[in-house]
Amino acid sequence: MSQLITGAGAVVSVGDGVEDVFRALCAGTSGLAPLRGFDRERYGAQNAYEIDDRPAEGDVPHRATDWLLRAVAQAAAQAGLGEDLSGIPILIGTGLRELRSAELAHRAGDALDADRLHFGTALRERFGADRTYTFSGACSASLYALAMGSDMLAAGTEQTVIVAGVDTLTESMYGLLDRVHLDPPERVQPFDRSRRGVLMGDGAAAVVLRRETPEAAPGALGRLRAVSMNCDAHHVTAPDPSGIAEAVREAHRRAGVKPGDIDLVMLHGTGTLLNDEAEATAIGEVYGPDVAVPLMTAIKSMTGHTSGSSGLVSLITALQAMATGQVPPTVGLSDPVQEAAEFRFAREPISGADIGVAQVDAFGFGGVNAVAIVEKVSR
Amino acid sequence: MTGSNPASGTRIQITGVGLALPGATSAAELLRQTPAPAEPFDTAQVIGKRGHRYKDRATQLALCAAIDGLRDAGLIPADSEELAVPGTSMGVVASSNLGNLDTVCGAAEQINRESVGAISPMGLPNASSNVVASHVAIRFKLRGPNLMLCNGPTSGLDAVHWAANLIAADRVRRALVIGVETRNEIVEGLLRTEAAELLDGAVALVVESAEAAAERGAAPVAELGRYRRQAGLDGCLEPLLADPDQQRPAPGIWFTPERYAPDGTAPVPASVPRHDLSRAFGRSSGALGVLQCAAATGWLAAQGSGRALLTNGDDSADAVASLLLDRPGADS
Repeated sequence: MSQLITGAGAVVSVGDGVEDVFRALCAGTSGLAPLRGFDRERYGAQNAYEIDDRPAEGDVPHRATDWLLRAVAQAAAQAGLGEDLSGIPILIGTGLRELRSAELAHRAGDALDADRLHFGTALRERFGADRTYTFSGACSASLYALAMGSDMLAAGTEQTVIVAGVDTLTESMYGLLDRVHLDPPERVQPFDRSRRGVLMGDGAAAVVLRRETPEAAPGALGRLRAVSMNCDAHHVTAPDPSGIAEAVREAHRRAGVKPGDIDLVMLHGTGTLLNDEAEATAIGEVYGPDVAVPLMTAIKSMTGHTSGSSGLVSLITALQAMATGQVPPTVGLSDPVQEAAEFRFAREPISGADIGVAQVDAFGFGGVNAVAIVEKVSR
Repeated sequence: MTGSNPASGTRIQITGVGLALPGATSAAELLRQTPAPAEPFDTAQVIGKRGHRYKDRATQLALCAAIDGLRDAGLIPADSEELAVPGTSMGVVASSNLGNLDTVCGAAEQINRESVGAISPMGLPNASSNVVASHVAIRFKLRGPNLMLCNGPTSGLDAVHWAANLIAADRVRRALVIGVETRNEIVEGLLRTEAAELLDGAVALVVESAEAAAERGAAPVAELGRYRRQAGLDGCLEPLLADPDQQRPAPGIWFTPERYAPDGTAPVPASVPRHDLSRAFGRSSGALGVLQCAAATGWLAAQGSGRALLTNGDDSADAVASLLLDRPGADS
């Protein structure tokens, strides 16, 4: 059964709103900046890709919740759902939910508002939404949520679901990632030999997904063909190329496409030594002789690693690329790793591309992998 | 129907229950009326010292419950942890709200007191909220979808529902559902709650399609009925219990939201006995719904007829989730 994406919203370091974000990405704009919310002296790494909305001094709780509400409102408005979302399932994928708010409460010795660790309370207050689910799925969380939303439509019980993703930097995750860097990275450089690791970014994204009907198709942003999800069951942080390859194959199989049919791959590309190698190895294995067919790009080079939201941010970027023929570049990539030597990277902004079918990758801690296939509606 | 289980007609059953909490070693014992002993559950006797390495308490408890549940379902033998079914046929759906708060807040505190050099890099996986689900998958090589619900008071019943959805959508044939919460100084401080008030334990369920259970000759102990998540007790329960044709008697027991204060207005007939598991086992947050399912299997086994109603969340929560559990094969 076909499913349409009829609305989208996004808030990341480089922009607010899908068109604003896409314009910035296509211009090669990076959200990289010195750490704003944390005490820089405590860390080796000094930079991140944050949304610059804190007050002049210090940090405040519930910023992730605010971005999520914005992204959902944008998507719902575009899809014509308005502001009353009672009864509509909203599935939120996140790596770190409102753990930043817990860190702030703990440090200040304050009580934690436990009803705001998950996002349902704020979604109920703002939109009357009461079928909300906060899934903590690490960095593939929003594509995992998309898969489950898609399953709900396929079961025939729902007409419309909203799928979202959100994450903000926590001191614990930023610090623990920093702790395992050999040499602190200054920026995220996916697939480049000189990459030194990952830096986190803030972000939220949302889409409205609905069953395809003849009336809904003309205004739709794209069609969701399939989403795969699996688990390596291999290691808590290290990725497994065979698990990733299996997720890509399963997405292709469910969508009924072959590697040669794909025009664009939105790579997960976190800029860590292991992840990029594992992803490139898996893509090379699945695509074989067709590995140079699709354009490929990794937008974390501009947004940082937006964790749980990153899969949907990439998916929305793919939809915009289909609509406009523009593809954002992989900024800072000059010397690709051996495993990606034959990839046709967008190293500079591209325009005039004919993108009909796109693959979107998202992989996370615990070896949780998800891959989505989307296509242009006119096809 | 809004919020109900998928209409695909797939019958979903519970075929195993696993426990790692003080005061009960079987589903029947979960029905105890007196408070469980304060002595913490000893995870070392189940997973040994090696099983503890670099894992937080919630993960350790979850692994213990998982072993017990998989064994109860006949999916691993008594003397090993070798899975009797393909790893790709089974997913994991875990639920916890408080599980990794100690790692997260502890690391942030240490960084601010000293620097990032002072923290152990081995804490990295525990800073991500899905750590419980991924450790369980790795230990038993469960390669299906791997989910972690952190959805507030309703999280436990929501996890059971999503396991059912994964099976009905044919993503997997079975799933291991785990509810776990733990207590420590950080959680007690953040919640302004005494340790004795909080559950320190885990509960596991093996949830399976009736077809998959029958194929491997498993004996189901319960069958999932309707589920609903909606704002307010009335909003959730009235449609769930609606029975215009008077075909079914009222549920035989109501497992209530935690610390539920009966005020006579709930849309559950006063004749239905109430059972609040948090009285014996403490506030259970994201584990409550899974704990209720386990207790309900004990209740179903002891009763000749009737079905159990399970509810998480009340009018103070963002929504209320409820599930009906019936005996296997009953027409619900």
